[in-house]
Amino acid sequence: MSQEIESRIRAALRPVAPSEDFSQKLLARVIADQPARPKPRRLPSANARPLVWWLTASLAACLILAVGVQQHLEQQRLQQSGLEARRQVVEALRMTSQKLNLAYEAVKNQSTSLSDEKSGV
Amino acid sequence: MNDGALDPLDDELAKARLGERTALAVLVQAHQRAVYSLALRMLGTRDLAEDLTQDVFMQLNGNLKAIESNKHLGFWLRRVTTNRAIDQLRRRTRLPMTSFEDEQPFFSAEDDADPLLQRHLRDLLSDLSPQARAVLLLRFQEDLDPTDIAQTLDMPINTVKSHLKRSLETMREKSLGMQSARCEDSST
Repeated sequence: MSQEIESRIRAALRPVAPSEDFSQKLLARVIADQPARPKPRRLPSANARPLVWWLTASLAACLILAVGVQQHLEQQRLQQSGLEARRQVVEALRMTSQKLNLAYEAVKNQSTSLSDEKSGV
Repeated sequence: MNDGALDPLDDELAKARLGERTALAVLVQAHQRAVYSLALRMLGTRDLAEDLTQDVFMQLNGNLKAIESNKHLGFWLRRVTTNRAIDQLRRRTRLPMTSFEDEQPFFSAEDDADPLLQRHLRDLLSDLSPQARAVLLLRFQEDLDPTDIAQTLDMPINTVKSHLKRSLETMREKSLGMQSARCEDSST
């Protein structure tokens, strides 16, 4: 009985076709809405590939060279400014030393003349 | 989804994925009958069924890349159609099932089923909840087994089985009533 009912339901529920008019409209709509075929991506040709490689390598080499030169120049500049500072310090010390010598001489002369005066009296 | 069996429509699917319109047309023609029938018997009217069928195939256009095989396509179409129909039915408190006269045939014209049984079946479909209706249609229209129905509707298999059991019991009762009425007719 159950089998019989199931087969009868199955027979009654066989798929029905939509109207021809709808079927055509559906096809037209779906096809019109389909995304366009994607364009294949162009890969670089075999001849172009070494050129691209060389260009990339040259660019990278130039970049590395520029960075190296810049670092070298910076180091030189720092070294120069260090030397200049040392020279200025030495000069300042030398001048200070001269002034101290002069002062020392002046004091020494003054004390000598004072002692001569006392002995002369 | 791909069980390794050769399906000529798998080639058409591959071509349609690349944008070939003829291949897409072949796929639409191959599946429109099932989608339309599901939509018609879920929603009850031709207009709603046509709208839903069109929406489902338009949605397919955007999802072609995710479809792996023709078998997967069938699964995807049934799933989207039933889910969208269930959503529509939930939004309405009750969708009237229109009469046979003013609608395109609800049942297959080529079957030799009893018109009374068709009427009972139609009544049963309209009385069922959207989910139960989908279960019955997937079982007897699409010939899916309960496991496939459970996958299609994201439903526990026991729920599928209980929906089927209840629907069949109702149909059996109606059928027995029909037979006894016929016996009475023939005896008089």
